Amino acid sequence: MAAEMALVKPISKFTSPKLSNPSKYLSGRRFSTVIRMSATSSPPPPATATSKSKKGTKKEIQESLLTPRFYTTDFEEMEQLFNTEINKNLNEAEFVALLQEFKTDYNQTHFVRNKEFKEAADKLQGPLRQIFVEFLERSCTAEFSGFLLYKELGRRLKKTNPVVAEIFSLMSRDEARHAGFLNKGLSDFNLALDLGFLTKARKYTFFKPKFIFYATYLSEKIGYWRYITIYRHLKANPEFQCYPIFKYFENWCQDENRHGDFFSALMKAQPQFLNDWQAKLWSRFFCLSVYVTMYLNDCQRTDFYEGIGLNTKEFDMHVIIETNRTTARIFPAVLDVENPEFKRKLDRMVVSYEKLLAIGQTDDPSFVKTLKRIPLVASLASEILAAYLMPPVESGSVDFAEFEPNLVY
Amino acid sequence: MWSVTGALTVAVPPTAAACRPKPFLVSSSFPKQTKKLHLSPPPLLLTSHFSSSFKSAATSVEQQSDKKGESTKYHFLVANAKFMLDEEEHFQEQLFERLRYYGEREIEQDFWLVIEPKFLDNFPKITQRLRRPAVALVSTNGPWITFMKLRLDRVLYDSFEATSLDEALASNPTTLEFDKPKNWVAPYPKYEPGWWDTFLHKVTQESVV
Repeated sequence: MAAEMALVKPISKFTSPKLSNPSKYLSGRRFSTVIRMSATSSPPPPATATSKSKKGTKKEIQESLLTPRFYTTDFEEMEQLFNTEINKNLNEAEFVALLQEFKTDYNQTHFVRNKEFKEAADKLQGPLRQIFVEFLERSCTAEFSGFLLYKELGRRLKKTNPVVAEIFSLMSRDEARHAGFLNKGLSDFNLALDLGFLTKARKYTFFKPKFIFYATYLSEKIGYWRYITIYRHLKANPEFQCYPIFKYFENWCQDENRHGDFFSALMKAQPQFLNDWQAKLWSRFFCLSVYVTMYLNDCQRTDFYEGIGLNTKEFDMHVIIETNRTTARIFPAVLDVENPEFKRKLDRMVVSYEKLLAIGQTDDPSFVKTLKRIPLVASLASEILAAYLMPPVESGSVDFAEFEPNLVY
Repeated sequence: MWSVTGALTVAVPPTAAACRPKPFLVSSSFPKQTKKLHLSPPPLLLTSHFSSSFKSAATSVEQQSDKKGESTKYHFLVANAKFMLDEEEHFQEQLFERLRYYGEREIEQDFWLVIEPKFLDNFPKITQRLRRPAVALVSTNGPWITFMKLRLDRVLYDSFEATSLDEALASNPTTLEFDKPKNWVAPYPKYEPGWWDTFLHKVTQESVV
């Protein structure tokens, strides 16, 4: 699972005010204090204690708007949604097919490390080292967050829908593998994410099942496109292959892609999430949240992408366009991201966001900071709203779409 | 997986001629035995109607061996060649992934690509909605085709029975050439045309004679 949906949080709170029990799962504490390492969103500090000591210096969690999050949902509603007794229209064939595909377990023997990892980690020095550490941390956190959510869903749905439950469990198997692999990568930098602690200490963002579907679908598909793009770019430009983990991305991201397919099937089994005007508005909203989050995040980390030979903005636009095309196979509406105006809007958001971050780093008194932020927040918000209101593209699975009868295959 | 692709692009110049099935290529590894794949025992907790679907999936795989005279069910997805072979690049990755997996587990191949399949003549309802040339993904593994339908979405599904692979996968010679994309912005090159050759059925020696 990729991390690109953090922006969704504050807005979802706004839209579902009654549902505020994020720490229901695993007795999570609402206000976490310390954690071995942070998964920060702000640009990496030039040199911190984290890269020095084996145990690492405990740091405050620096959660910000764009930090990868942990998710929880209304498990009872999930149980109802996939109860085969209640919901007789579930497309069992698709779920049975998916179960077979997940049981196949293409990557059972894929995640095996070699000595290249340690050697590459030792060679990474200076600012690039810190950037890589942060990349591993964030990726590990994102994968691990998928593991927790899927694991719990697998457990909770066992009785009402054993097939769907087993698929969730198999997906949590994949996520655990990915997270473990990334965490081992961190060990080459003499670091480790304390995942047990993370489980308890992180804040959980609550999403209704419907929103979990939209958000995780996008998250998995955009994860696929990010990984495969990096993989294929490095395949073509091996001189930038500075860390061996990228060589694993081709097989790895096929898992992400399949996970996305599963959410596609879940949504198809609940057509009420796909077939009305509200579904269209939510679809566009989630697309925008995910794309904007990624764009703002990545533009703060251009050093990482440039370090592996990519142009950050071009990379992101490619990923956004491809993810949007993929998403158009299931969401009833998507954004017109191929309209050049969309990118211009994203670029203006980056400018406002960077100014916002810069204010945070000044020594001004906090009320002055707040005053300075107001116009920037306003311009960021209006840009986001304008992007949301751009004329959308009608889309959807051919199993539902109104345009299907006229389609030539 | 990349070594497979790499070798292919060296051996096969990316010309249109390379896209045709090679009728004289003899495959020594053709159906000898069928191993049951991926269907390790059905999960314990399956409800009754799920487990029946599972059994039928297992049966369709078992039927795969080329016993003379016995017909086998083939499931297929079809769409225009441009969509299948040129635009959907993840499709290429999936097929090679599956081939790699079959190789690792020594499982007999049960999926193929067919360019302009002859069996389409029996499906007028499909052909009237199909741009040509068309390409089909054919497999004896029904659930896998169901999964691939979920993935590809913009494809048409049906199935048919045939008594031999050669009959099932017969195709009309066709030249495939795709225009280069006008606006290729990806930070990597497209997959080389001709990658699909690996998945075309090679006619068995017997039927060539």
